[in-house]
Amino acid sequence: MALAEICKISNAPYMRPNAWSSADVEEEQKGLMCNLANPYTLAAPPFENPLHNLNQIQANGDKTGVKINFDHGTTTLGFKFKGGVLLAVDSRATGGSYIGSQSMKKIVEINQFMLGTLAGGAADCVYWDRVLSKECRLHELRNKERISVAAASKIMANIAHEYKGMGLSMGMMLAGYDKRGPGLYYVDSEGSRTPGNLFSVGSGSLYAYGVLDSGYHWDLEDKEAQELGRRAIYHATFRDAYSGGIIRVYHIKEDGWVNISNTDCMELHYMYQEQLKQQAAK
Amino acid sequence: MARRYDSRTTIFSPEGRLYQVEYAMEAISHAGTCLGILAEDGILLAAECRSTNKLLDSAIPSEKIYRLNDNMVCSVAGITSDANVLTSELRLIAQRYQFSYGEVIPCEQLVSHLCDIKQAYTQYGGKRPFGVSLLYMGWDNKYGYQLYQSDPSGNYGGWKATCIGNNFGAAISMLKQELADKENVKLTLADAKDLAIKVLSMTLDTTKLTPEKVEMATLQRVDNKTVYSVLEKPDVEKLIEKYTKVQAEAEAAKKEKQAKQPTK
Amino acid sequence: METLLGIKGPDFVMLAADTTHARSIIVMKEDQNKIHKVSDSLLISTVGESGDTEQFTEFISKNIALYKMRNGYDLSPRESAHFTRKNLAEYLRSRTPYQVFMFVAGYDPNAGPELTFIDYLANALPVNYAGHGYGAIFASSIYDRYWHPNITQAEAYDVFKKCIAEIQKRLVVNLKNFTVAVVDKDGVRDLEPISAASLAA
Repeated sequence: MALAEICKISNAPYMRPNAWSSADVEEEQKGLMCNLANPYTLAAPPFENPLHNLNQIQANGDKTGVKINFDHGTTTLGFKFKGGVLLAVDSRATGGSYIGSQSMKKIVEINQFMLGTLAGGAADCVYWDRVLSKECRLHELRNKERISVAAASKIMANIAHEYKGMGLSMGMMLAGYDKRGPGLYYVDSEGSRTPGNLFSVGSGSLYAYGVLDSGYHWDLEDKEAQELGRRAIYHATFRDAYSGGIIRVYHIKEDGWVNISNTDCMELHYMYQEQLKQQAAK
Repeated sequence: MARRYDSRTTIFSPEGRLYQVEYAMEAISHAGTCLGILAEDGILLAAECRSTNKLLDSAIPSEKIYRLNDNMVCSVAGITSDANVLTSELRLIAQRYQFSYGEVIPCEQLVSHLCDIKQAYTQYGGKRPFGVSLLYMGWDNKYGYQLYQSDPSGNYGGWKATCIGNNFGAAISMLKQELADKENVKLTLADAKDLAIKVLSMTLDTTKLTPEKVEMATLQRVDNKTVYSVLEKPDVEKLIEKYTKVQAEAEAAKKEKQAKQPTK
Repeated sequence: METLLGIKGPDFVMLAADTTHARSIIVMKEDQNKIHKVSDSLLISTVGESGDTEQFTEFISKNIALYKMRNGYDLSPRESAHFTRKNLAEYLRSRTPYQVFMFVAGYDPNAGPELTFIDYLANALPVNYAGHGYGAIFASSIYDRYWHPNITQAEAYDVFKKCIAEIQKRLVVNLKNFTVAVVDKDGVRDLEPISAASLAA
């Protein structure tokens, strides 16, 4: 070992004994959990230059069998209309062809006036939504004023852009009511952020769009809007294997959000079937 | 009393003064005089050279006046070694701007950027302020010909004519007087040269002005290009001769007038 | 998929941009503005990877606004283009390059109109006319045919109409709507958007 010392390599990682000491483990743990102290320092994928290598691993997933390109399916939708903003989502959580849960809450209640929907990686969405709600509350305390939807979505977009290419997978809508009136923003893990009147996100969004686009107009009555959202999600759950469970409908008005309904899509299915039959009978 | 406060920089004295900065300014008011005059068709800087030893190599051109970039020139009064640091910093700032924006830096930005550095040296611990005041002459497409002056505190300002260094107070009041009469007349660069010689010869401690003691440079726009030139010694000589002649004539006229005056 | 168009005339620069915001095969939005007013006489139009476009354009425009606040005058169009290109080039060689294609268009009271083409590799080129995206391929021959050095604003608008009609006829992607903006000695101004409906009328 004397030679190693003379050559000044005795401290090099490859000269260390293989067995990890408890200090090493502690160090490793600290690195992985640094986000508990500061939520913005989320650990990056555990290999060098994640931005480049993660893409490579994902691209070669089929050949190597190493698949961290986790599958996800969802249907969420949101639209603005004269009565405020309406959000509707399903509640199925899947990992590939396995249904992990039928009762996910895919609408996150950020505060009394703002909701976020989640699609994509559930953990990513829930985690960053929690960071966002902390940020929104702090804004409220600091400025004696609720944060605008525009500002909240900007925080989210900045986070997403910071972690772009590092494996985050999110497609969310932020909806709320602020001094500018009803607000609806789409933000995703690419870092894009855009306001709009009508969005649908997730694997079932194509089906939801079909129903939504054909039934949507600005002057919908509250009841009509709620039914349109519910219907659009129901039809998506019918066609999309990765969407299902409970259909939750939220309505945001000037005085905050209201949870309108949480209905099992199966119940809805039989109800709509019944309606069809009655129509045919007439 | 003062000693407790001036041994370190960046500490206010009980009277609310920054001694180190004031000492730096004091040092400059003993340095070689520099003056700048803004004319209609150009701008000039003139400086007093103190090291006029015969053994100095005259091939080394300028001691007091430095080219900064395409559009700017400055002259310095104070500790020359400090000045060298600042002029090379100025050149760097100018080039950095050019690197970012692809255009020549506007004059005021260069001056204010350097003043940020000078100011920092009056505030951060363990630093000594730069013992240098500078005069800058330049041209840019925003404000045309410009003359700026900056001092060790990090202050700067734009002037029509100003002076730094030895006897600057006397020189400035002379410039003020001379230019006050000509408020409505357009000052040409030629007039400015004569004026510079006049002010220098009146304010320098020596009795007679010699070309070795004066450095003069002009900056003009010709055909959309900035032309900077340092006056050759014979040209300075001519200016001095012209001045002495005018002066002698004025003296003679004065005597004649006195002679004519009836004695009581 | 997205398309940007730009034409420089003797005393103006005109830009056009489609308004679709697409994600994989879905059109998320039909009214996305891609021409940004950066200052009183500067426009920047951007397309490219979603997220990057917004972030980079905002970064540049806020820096240009900061310059004005600090110095009291605007960065000239040439300086703006140089600054944009340089930042893009620096990011290109970093861990997080921006994939954006843009036009920097401005009017300088002294130097006149300026149109700079910038691509994601930070190539920057002052041009008389150019385009970004698939639509630009169709537009290029129309430019070559109809552009001339003394082109007027009305003529340039007409050239855009021709380009957009061709894009809507031949390009497989549906780009319904184009916003148009112009910058000249009077500053920046929006023009009537060009859409399939307005072309038919």
